[in-house]
Amino acid sequence: MRRYEVMVILDPESEERTVQPSLEQYLGVVRESGGSVEKVDIWGRRKLSYEIGKKSEGIYAVLDVTCEADTVAELDRQLGLSESVLRTKVVRPEAH
Amino acid sequence: MATRKPPPSGRRKRPKPLLAAEVTYVDYKDVKLLKAFVSERGKIRSRRVTGLTPEQQRAVAKAIKNAREMALLPYPSGR
Repeated sequence: MRRYEVMVILDPESEERTVQPSLEQYLGVVRESGGSVEKVDIWGRRKLSYEIGKKSEGIYAVLDVTCEADTVAELDRQLGLSESVLRTKVVRPEAH
Repeated sequence: MATRKPPPSGRRKRPKPLLAAEVTYVDYKDVKLLKAFVSERGKIRSRRVTGLTPEQQRAVAKAIKNAREMALLPYPSGR
C-alpha cells in the first residue's frame, strides 16, 4: 500500500457543494478494497491557465489516499469516465 | 547574458539559492513558488538564471510541467 495524491479538475458548471458527495462516491472504490482516504481538500473554483474543453475555470480538489496501485488506477479510470471531470493527475509525493 | 562569468572578484557569488533553505520536495501545487522560476512568457528559467543545483533545477522543471498539465501554470506563449 502506498500514499497517492490525486488531483481532480471538475466541471465549473456543477454546484460546489455537490462536489464532496460526488467525490465520495468515487472514493468508495478505495474504501472497499481496504485502502483509506486521508484527506479530501476541495480548493473550489479556480481560473484555468488555459482553456480545457472550452472551459476557462474549474473546481479543483486534491484527494490524499493510501491504497494499492491497482486501486488508484481504477479510481483514476473511473474519474476519467465521468463527464464532469475535466482532468486528473495522480502523483506519489514520496517518489519525488 | 552579459554577466555570465563576471571577474572572479568574489562579487556576486550565488544569485539566489532560493530553494536551498526550506523546500525539500518541490510541490507542483505550490504555484506561488514555481512562478518565481518561470518567465512572463511562461518559459522555465535556465539554471544560469535561477542559480539552482542540477538536482533542484530538475525537480523544479518537473513540478512546473506537472503544474502546466493541470492548468495551474500556462504553457509558453508565442514563438
